[in-house]
Amino acid sequence: MKRSVWLLLILALVVAYPLLFATPFLQRLGALVLLYAIAASAWNIVGGYAGQVSVGHVVFFGCGAYASMAFYTHFGWPPIAAVPVGMMASIGIAALIGVPTLRLSGHYFSMATIAVAELARLIVTNIEALGAAVGLSGPVMPRTVFDLSFTSALPYYYLFLAVLLVVLGLTYWMENSRIGFYLRAIKDNERAARSLGVQAGRYKLYAYMISAGLTSVAGALYATMYGFIDPDSGLGILTSVKILIMAALGGAGLLFGPLVGAAILVPLEEISNNVLGGKGAGLTFVVYGAIIMIIARFYPSGLLRLVLDRLAAANSASSDKKVRDAA
Amino acid sequence: MSNLETSQPLLSISHLEVKYGDLIGVADVSLEVGRGQIIALLGSNGAGKTTTLNAIAGLIPASSGQVEFAGHDITHQPAYAIVSQGLALSPEGWRLFVQQSVENNLMLGATTVADAAKKSDLLDKVYGIFPKLAERRTQQAGTMSGGERQMLAVGRALMSDPQLLLLDEPSLGLAPAIVESMYDTLIGLNKAGLTILLAEQSVELALEISNYAYVLQVGRNAMSGPSAALAKDPNVQKVYLGH
Repeated sequence: MKRSVWLLLILALVVAYPLLFATPFLQRLGALVLLYAIAASAWNIVGGYAGQVSVGHVVFFGCGAYASMAFYTHFGWPPIAAVPVGMMASIGIAALIGVPTLRLSGHYFSMATIAVAELARLIVTNIEALGAAVGLSGPVMPRTVFDLSFTSALPYYYLFLAVLLVVLGLTYWMENSRIGFYLRAIKDNERAARSLGVQAGRYKLYAYMISAGLTSVAGALYATMYGFIDPDSGLGILTSVKILIMAALGGAGLLFGPLVGAAILVPLEEISNNVLGGKGAGLTFVVYGAIIMIIARFYPSGLLRLVLDRLAAANSASSDKKVRDAA
Repeated sequence: MSNLETSQPLLSISHLEVKYGDLIGVADVSLEVGRGQIIALLGSNGAGKTTTLNAIAGLIPASSGQVEFAGHDITHQPAYAIVSQGLALSPEGWRLFVQQSVENNLMLGATTVADAAKKSDLLDKVYGIFPKLAERRTQQAGTMSGGERQMLAVGRALMSDPQLLLLDEPSLGLAPAIVESMYDTLIGLNKAGLTILLAEQSVELALEISNYAYVLQVGRNAMSGPSAALAKDPNVQKVYLGH
């Protein structure tokens, strides 16, 4: 009861945010937070719930982004119309990568995903039809409203919010379904889960494919908003790392963890870029490195988990006190 | 004809070999487990007991040899297919889902049971065997004592309604009184029809409750015989019982 009231209150704040803070900078910042929250929430399904830390999710992000831009460039589709194409391609690629790599445990899986992502970047850099090293652009002027090319960030904000709610809804459903039950067991102890007859390989692959499909949607939305994609922005390792860190900082394996992480990291990055200008480009890596160390050392299960644990402790302390007062 | 079938062992392993890359985990192990028996698998640390059990359960692949269960060749079948045929493993060191509740751990044991009514019957049965687990059904598995964890590991394995239970070191790290009550429970389960293959380092206890025993040494069969006879064997007494 109390929890749903809180959730509604937060949702109302999120909906009202771009109207309350109606400057272009803050609206754009809000839209970016939601965009990265979509990507990080999608990552969370395989990285958080299934415990398979993919560091190559940019492949799926890039797949969605490139599908949008390529189908616009070659066939004149509105960028957003190619979302199903990007999703199908991502799910297919996930199946291809996942079958051999998900057998690997721990760090080996992470390393394999990095290798695949770097390989994809090199391949795309050499394909003319995908713009090679230069990249692909979207419509310069909106032809119709379906091109989703707006000067204001406001429409993007609400579009991203709607997509994020769908992704979180799916995650919530999964969390409470049979697949979520098995994924938690696999994350906890894969050998034991297998010994009881849980088909670990199959469920990890499902999670990877769902996660890949949703990540590609984030990529398509990114390309639609920026109207441009190149190998660095669409397939660079930094995007993979960003997605992963947001989820880990907020709380991997928690429904709202990635959103919390995005709400902290995106403003941090935007502000540091604004303050430092071009000089700050390399500093982003330093900041991410520092955050990785801090999370690993102090909050391995994320900030949201920390807050929830504190709240739970405070609640039980206050109920203990009530019991004592009553006695 | 039916006489012949019943005389067939429930589990039979011939010349099992398991390799970890170039390392040999089990070189050549053969054994038979008859229906309704308790068979002990003995040997020191590193003799290949755990590897043998894991290979039977389909958790690691056998590089050669054959495993037959209830008349079917299960050598190259995946774990989930083996569990659903009625073979359950309670692994060494319990390997519980420590973050989850007792009841969730048990329900995961019934993964291969499709029928919801049967699942809840099995749950009642396991709570009947281990009333302590019923008291603690909502407790996180990681916060329980060693004895309770061992109960949960065995209870979880029973949730798949097995004909054959493989038990890996059930006495490891437990106080003697707790081990004794666990063994009493095992004897009870066996009397009710469960066949048990028990890997143990506590040779004395294992020989006490088993019908027949196999001793492994560096991944090979070293000795075997009726448990009562092995317990009197001067070699076994010297090496394993410290007499």
